[in-house]
Amino acid sequence: MWHSGSSTPVAPLALQSLDHSQLYQRRTHQMGDGNDPRTEEIDNLSPSTGDYEDLSEQDWADAENSLSSISISSGQMSYAKPTRPTFLKLSSTNTPALFPTRSVSETSSPLYMHENSSNSRITGNMSLGNMFCSRCNDGFEPHEKIVNSNGELWHTQCFVCAQCFRPFPDGTFYEFEGRKYCEHDFHVLFAPCCGKCGEFVIGRVIKAMNANWHPRCFRCESCSKELADLGFIRNQGRALCHECNAQEKAVGLGKYICHKCHGVIDEKPLRFRGEVYHPYHFNCASCKVELNSDAREVKSRPGFTSNEMNELYCLRCHDKMGIPICGACRRPIEERVVTALGKHWHVEHFVCAKCEKPFLGHRHYEKKGLAYCETHYHQLFGNLCFVCNQVIAGDVFTALNKAWCVHHFACSVCDQKMNQKTKFYECDLKPVCKKCYDKYPAEVRRRLRKTHEATPKKATV
Amino acid sequence: MNQAPVSCIPSPKMSKAKKVLDEARSSGNPELDLMEKGISSFEEMPGLLNMSNITRLTLSHNKIIDIPPGLANLVNLEILTLFNNHIEELPVSLSSMPKLRILNLGMNRLNSLPRGFGAFPVLEVLDLSYNNLNEESFPANFFILDTLRALYLGDNDFEFIPPEIGQLKNLQILVLRDNDLIELPKEIGDLTRLRELHIQGNRLTVLPPEIGQLDLVSNKSVLKMDYNPWVAPIADQLQVGISHVIDYIRSETYRYLFSRHISVRGPPPPKYIDKTNKLSRNRKSN
Ligand SMILES: [Zn+2]
Ligand SMILES: [Zn+2]
Ligand SMILES: [Zn+2]
Ligand SMILES: [Zn+2]
Ligand SMILES: [Zn+2]
Ligand SMILES: [Zn+2]
Ligand SMILES: [Zn+2]
Ligand SMILES: [Zn+2]
Repeated sequence: MWHSGSSTPVAPLALQSLDHSQLYQRRTHQMGDGNDPRTEEIDNLSPSTGDYEDLSEQDWADAENSLSSISISSGQMSYAKPTRPTFLKLSSTNTPALFPTRSVSETSSPLYMHENSSNSRITGNMSLGNMFCSRCNDGFEPHEKIVNSNGELWHTQCFVCAQCFRPFPDGTFYEFEGRKYCEHDFHVLFAPCCGKCGEFVIGRVIKAMNANWHPRCFRCESCSKELADLGFIRNQGRALCHECNAQEKAVGLGKYICHKCHGVIDEKPLRFRGEVYHPYHFNCASCKVELNSDAREVKSRPGFTSNEMNELYCLRCHDKMGIPICGACRRPIEERVVTALGKHWHVEHFVCAKCEKPFLGHRHYEKKGLAYCETHYHQLFGNLCFVCNQVIAGDVFTALNKAWCVHHFACSVCDQKMNQKTKFYECDLKPVCKKCYDKYPAEVRRRLRKTHEATPKKATV
Repeated sequence: MNQAPVSCIPSPKMSKAKKVLDEARSSGNPELDLMEKGISSFEEMPGLLNMSNITRLTLSHNKIIDIPPGLANLVNLEILTLFNNHIEELPVSLSSMPKLRILNLGMNRLNSLPRGFGAFPVLEVLDLSYNNLNEESFPANFFILDTLRALYLGDNDFEFIPPEIGQLKNLQILVLRDNDLIELPKEIGDLTRLRELHIQGNRLTVLPPEIGQLDLVSNKSVLKMDYNPWVAPIADQLQVGISHVIDYIRSETYRYLFSRHISVRGPPPPKYIDKTNKLSRNRKSN
């Protein structure tokens, strides 16, 4: 407290405003090349409203050759960048002396001063008669407390926030376009809001995608990685990390993504257990050599059908072991090999699951991983008639992936009975007699011809 | 007034249909063949709606526009074939037919199905091919038709299939050939008994990975998917064979591609077929 007539030395109050050029200096000092004595004071006193970082970005289209060059601009360039908004503009006369600190100069300190103060450095060329309040332009009463901030004078009641007209808490104010604001109102009016969470951004501000962000809030829209220190790529209006962008690009180009490392596979992929990989992630199960895309996946080894038992061999080892093993006796097959049900068989070991007679090249039917002769397949599983949906007792008409009983094998359009001699056409795997087919609009027939070679068919009985 | 409502109908046509009816009545044959008789109205088939003993009625290749609600009096009818007529609307009563198992309405001029259409108690095969139907044509209860074994919707105007399709638990055959389909719902993967899926001639670029759950590669199964603008990896697999497509859509790699494709989806591919000259477009209102 200072009273009139007090001889107590005038101590400066922490009145200050914020200037990005000062922050700029602070940063350079922190980076090791500064020796400005103000810097430490500023660090202590400055209520930083954030320094801005423009994150560079690049569109997919021109990202082709220069993906690695995308980076975040450093602190130095953020202030100088012509594109960033310069809303924290301070008049140039203010700038050099703006940050009042003990260590720099008391003359620039805003302070309460008594008319009779002996502080001649401030009042040396002033007298009460030519001193006017910067706000109301009135003069000052003798003995009245006067606020001096950076050479400008105010009545104490006039030295208030331009928005709320209240004194500045702790004497801290922010100056913008010649007006002074309390911290609260400055934030409300001018501080950037985060494009994600909507909160004010205090501290490091990331400028990217035409908005401001907290570093924690600016993330890859695909994998949510923080992007502030990684850089990003704009992809169809979204910010993506390099990996996610590369993956999208690969998918867009029809390239495969490695199931192990999630990287793009530029060469031929290696297929293994239903997925695709870079071949170099695997070694030959036999000779242990690192594999290339010529490697062979050996499926359905004797006794196993599941994918999980598959193994990879280099081409040389695969050729060496290329002797098939019979799925029944598990011995190598030297002569004729029958391949069915995903396994290899000796001709005489591929048999009906019911009567155990070998098929010897005759037709077999598969059901639930087992093979049956015609007799036993029908006996056990009885075909259902497509029309009556009953098990077919007598003769079965089989065609078009369907079966019919003798009563119901008919044209699906006109219901006229057909037999094994009747030629019919196919539409959606239903039989259509020639008379009906000829009544289809030409345009439909043309399409049916194109999609299923509309040759007349016959049923097998 | 002395009205003669049937006077405009040429008598030869009349007698053709009437002759079949008379024969059926005297022989007691419950299966009635009235295809290609030039019939344009049920009035040309006097007494038909009282023949409640018949089990099959075939009226293909006629010119019938209106179906009278009284058709539902044929309570023993199991098979009703109305293929290639000029039908624009169906009576609500149709879905009350207690024994109807097979209903063929292919090649007509239907723009919609009547309310309550899903109420058929035992319908197994429904053929609506070559009409003017789309996803808005289904009444609310359509997908309670869980007795359905086969649903033929080829040559219509569907761009989407409602996800409720997954409720048709007994469906073994689903034909969506030559529509305007932009995507399929993942719920098709719920149709565990499906063994025929026809989706050729649409605007599909990807398949929901859930289709990989279905058994569409056994020797009793059919998946027809040509003539779609598939994404390159699917098109590549399709060239080697359907089983390769199925193997591929079952992979993690494909799940990843699919999720990406859905999230960056561009505009749908253009329509594949010009349908302006479809017969089903010739409605009397035009
Ligand atoms: Zn204020
Ligand atoms: Zn935020
Ligand atoms: Zn990411
Ligand atoms: Zn890899
Ligand atoms: Zn053997
Ligand atoms: Zn047998
Ligand atoms: Zn039958
Ligand atoms: Zn026919």
